[in-house]
This record gives sequence, structure tokens and C-alpha cells, in this order.
Amino acid sequence: MTTAPKTQVRSLDDPLLMVDTPATIYDAVPPYPPQTEREAEFYALRGGEMLINLGPQHPSTHGVLRVVLKIDGERVVDLDPVLGYLHRGVEKICENSDWHMVVSHCDPLEYIASMFSELVPVMAAEKLLDVKVPRRADYIRVLACELNRISSHALFIGWLALDLGGLTPILYGFIERDEIVEMLAALTGQKLLFNYMRIGGVNGDLNHEFLSRLGDWMSHAAARIEDSQTLINENEIFVKRTRGLGVIDRETALRMCLSGPPLRATGIPYDVRRAHPYSVYPELEFEIPTREEGDSYARYLLHLDEIKQSIHIIDQVLHKMPDGPIAAKLPRLLRPRPGRAFAAIESPRGQYAVYAMSDGSDQPFRLRIHDPSYFNLQTVGLLTPGHLVADTMAIMASLDPIMGGVDK
Amino acid sequence: MAQRHDTTEIRITAGAVTDVMRTLHDDPDFRFRLLADICGVDTGTTMQVVYHVWSDATPDWLRVIVVDLPRNDPRLPSITFLWKGAEWGEREAYDMFGIIFEGNRDLRRIYMPPDYVSFPLRKDFLLPDDASRSPGMGIRHMEQAASPVGAPVRKARTD
Repeated sequence: MTTAPKTQVRSLDDPLLMVDTPATIYDAVPPYPPQTEREAEFYALRGGEMLINLGPQHPSTHGVLRVVLKIDGERVVDLDPVLGYLHRGVEKICENSDWHMVVSHCDPLEYIASMFSELVPVMAAEKLLDVKVPRRADYIRVLACELNRISSHALFIGWLALDLGGLTPILYGFIERDEIVEMLAALTGQKLLFNYMRIGGVNGDLNHEFLSRLGDWMSHAAARIEDSQTLINENEIFVKRTRGLGVIDRETALRMCLSGPPLRATGIPYDVRRAHPYSVYPELEFEIPTREEGDSYARYLLHLDEIKQSIHIIDQVLHKMPDGPIAAKLPRLLRPRPGRAFAAIESPRGQYAVYAMSDGSDQPFRLRIHDPSYFNLQTVGLLTPGHLVADTMAIMASLDPIMGGVDK
Repeated sequence: MAQRHDTTEIRITAGAVTDVMRTLHDDPDFRFRLLADICGVDTGTTMQVVYHVWSDATPDWLRVIVVDLPRNDPRLPSITFLWKGAEWGEREAYDMFGIIFEGNRDLRRIYMPPDYVSFPLRKDFLLPDDASRSPGMGIRHMEQAASPVGAPVRKARTD
């Protein structure tokens, strides 16, 4: 196990020199005997089968994911995702930071929609502290989160088309994302990792630039979404390559612990915003869109429906926004009561949860981060066998994993 | 309005996991069909595995805590026969805590490299930063999993 066979690669300093390198990254076959039943089964090849390596630096893997594909001709027989290239040990780091620092450590997990990954630990801490969040802060949180959801979904649609070979939709996705990111930058000062949520409230109040940008965007957002639908909704190539691809039925979806759009695309209306209402969602009107087909195309359409619902929510939030303080008064050093708390929200990818344990000190005793991408990504091993190699990307993109969250 | 939905909690031992989880999953009165989370916990003295399950029959999450797993050999049955998706959750708990789930077909490292030897989220796995919190310990190697005699291990005061 420890004696990894070496392979030779050309030296970067001297092109004529061959140097030893550990074979682990470049070889699909691991340099150690199989450790589990499943691993032994996967790496035993029958006639005609071969292993190829996808990633870790492949653009269609949405981050640093390595997948070992076992193929027979052009068909995928089986696959084995290899994680850990982005693993930073955030849970361990959080155990060694105080409660306020946890927010910024959790921020880069779901980096496409980081409002969500910073909101959950904050909510868990508030549960442990029994803090009442001011209503205005709750409304601002919902506003920021729904904006971020739209920007994330817009990018998803672009990515999905990109992985199928359509280069244009991602540009349209980025138009939407760019405007929202500029807006949130005006609100938070950051474009990607906002670090905006605070235990007991938010970091800053709504300002003039944010509101004027938001007003501009709202005036044409719905029309623009309708417009971008016409690009791919009935595009024959797109529909043919996604309809009937990666079909999940309800029972399987529950058994595989799916959540978010992949779960709702099978017809189960599980949305944490309605199942376990948090923040001010009980006061807002919106629907939980579902689809019955459970294939990649259904997941794509579901994202479009969710964007429309989010615009509807933002509209209501702007009309109902109350006045008042934006943060509860809390001491600089937080010492929550000893106990356990589980908080979950609906992120663009599904149920994002944090299970926090406090022992009464200023640091979390245990902070478990449940990322939906991690559990959704696992389904790819079930959906891909039997499909073409090129469809692996379409299935993976339609599950929308973010490797920052998968690898923690 | 904060969520207050996770106050129902049951505590079981490792031997009861299969029966309890199967009843919760299959019984028509419970219908806990969705596994919201699975994680390991090291309390400093024992290991725990915590499941959160969701049912459409109740607005609550149910928290099932498997308590009193010995730290030197934590073992419990896998629940992959009910939730196939728990496989990676169990792999993560194995990778981070060394908890053995009997019946999981693919229980190997998932984040750490396959030749890694220790379990990073255990309380006696100290980061170099932690040395500053324990005077007299000095800096120790990160992968030194077993704590030396007399080393301070942070223990839960909750249970």
C-alpha cells in the first residue's frame, strides 16, 4: 500500500531528463491492492473493457473531481468518483475557531452560491444561542439568498448547455450572473465570497447603489429569463441529448438521499423552505415547482421554474421589507449553551444542513456540514452506466455539483 | 422565526440500529423516507453516529443518536440496505473518525489519500495550531493520531 509504483515523466526543467513521479495521478489503476469488495469488483476488467481517467483537471467536472470510467467501446460500464482534491478540512478548522470565524470558513464551500453556505452555520449558532433575529435582517437574508439562487441557476443552465457543446447559453447565463454579482458586491463589498451573514443578523443595511441596481434588474429580469429560454428549450440537439437521460424514479431518489432539483424533478415536493420553514418564508407566497420525468431535461426545466419563483419572492420581499435594526445585540465572544442544533436551508443544490454541537465554550465542539452536492454527486455512479462517455458530462452537469462543497 | 424542528431525539445502542432504522423507514405510521444527514461525532470519551431523518407525517426531523461506541473500536451496522445514498456518508464518517460500518460494501477513504493512517476529526488529532492551547505539549506531528499519555483531549460537557 505504501510502495507506490513509480512512473516516468519528462522533467519540466530539462526536457531531455525523465524523472520519477508517483503513479497515482496519471494512472487510472490505483497502486495498491483493492481494499473493499466494491473496489475489487470495479478494478477487475473483463474482456474489451478499459479504464480511463476523467479529470481531476477536466473543465466539465466543475472543479477538481476525478472520475475513473470503466468503458466498453463508447459505453460506460461503471465509474468510480475519486474525491478529496479540494479537501481542506473545514469541519476541523471550525472546531478550532470561534463562532464568528466559522462564518467566513464556511463561506467558500458552495462558492457559486456562498450566501447559503454562510447562512446555515449562522442559523445553527442562533438556535444554540436562542437569538431572535430582527425582522428586517430576516428579509434582507431572504433577498440576498434568492438573488444568489438566481445567479447560481443561471450559471447552471449555461454550464449544462456548455457541457453538451453549446457555447452561447453560458454567455447569457453570465449576463444574469454579472448583474446580480455587481448588485451583491454593492451590498456586501465582495463579488464571490460575500461574508455577509452574521450571527444575529447581517453585516450591512441595504444601500442606494444596491437598490438602484436591483430596480434596474427587476424591470427586465422576467423578460430576459423568458428570452433566454427560447435559446435552448426547444433546441432539437439539446432536447435529444437531455430528454430521457439519467432518469431517476421517486423511490431511487429517496434511497439515494437526493435533495433539491434532482429530487423535485422526480415529483417529490420536498423543499426545506416549505417542509421546515425558516426565516420569513412562511409569510411569502411561492410554489414548489416539480416535474415527473426525473431526467436531465426535467432538471433543466425545473431550474427555470425556480428562477421564476425566486423573482416572485424578491418582488414580495421588496414590498414587505420592514424598518428596524439589522442585527441583534450580541457579545463579541459567543458562548452558546451546551447542546445540539440542526439547521437546514434550501440551497440552489438542495438541502444544506449544519449539525452543531456546543460544549459551552467559545468554539463549536463539532460542526458537521451536510452539503447537498456531495449526496447528489453520488448518484452519478447509478445513472451513468449504459450511457455514452459524452453523456456522462451531461448527467453530471444536470446534478450540478460544486466541488468546493463536495470536498469541504 | 427560527426553525425549532429538531428537538425530538432518540438514543440507541449499536445493536439496535438495524431494527430501529428499518422500523422508522418502513412502518406506515412513521414513513421516515428521507435521510437528511448522517455524521460521526467524537465526544472525547466515546464515539457517536447521528442520523437525521425526515417524514412527511410530521414537520420534525427525528434525530437518532447511536451512543457509546468505544473509541478504540467503533462498530455498528450499515444502513445502506435502506438508504443506498448513505454509502458516502458512512465512508466520510469512516475516513474522519475510523467508525466501521459493517455491511457497507465500499468502506474506504474518501477525502484523505488511501495510504493515510489516522483519523483527522478525532479529538486527539491535534493541528499544529492546537499546540498553542496546550502549554507544555509543544508542536507535534499532525498525523500522530494516538494522544500521548496525559495529553489534554477536549471532552464534551453535553452528555
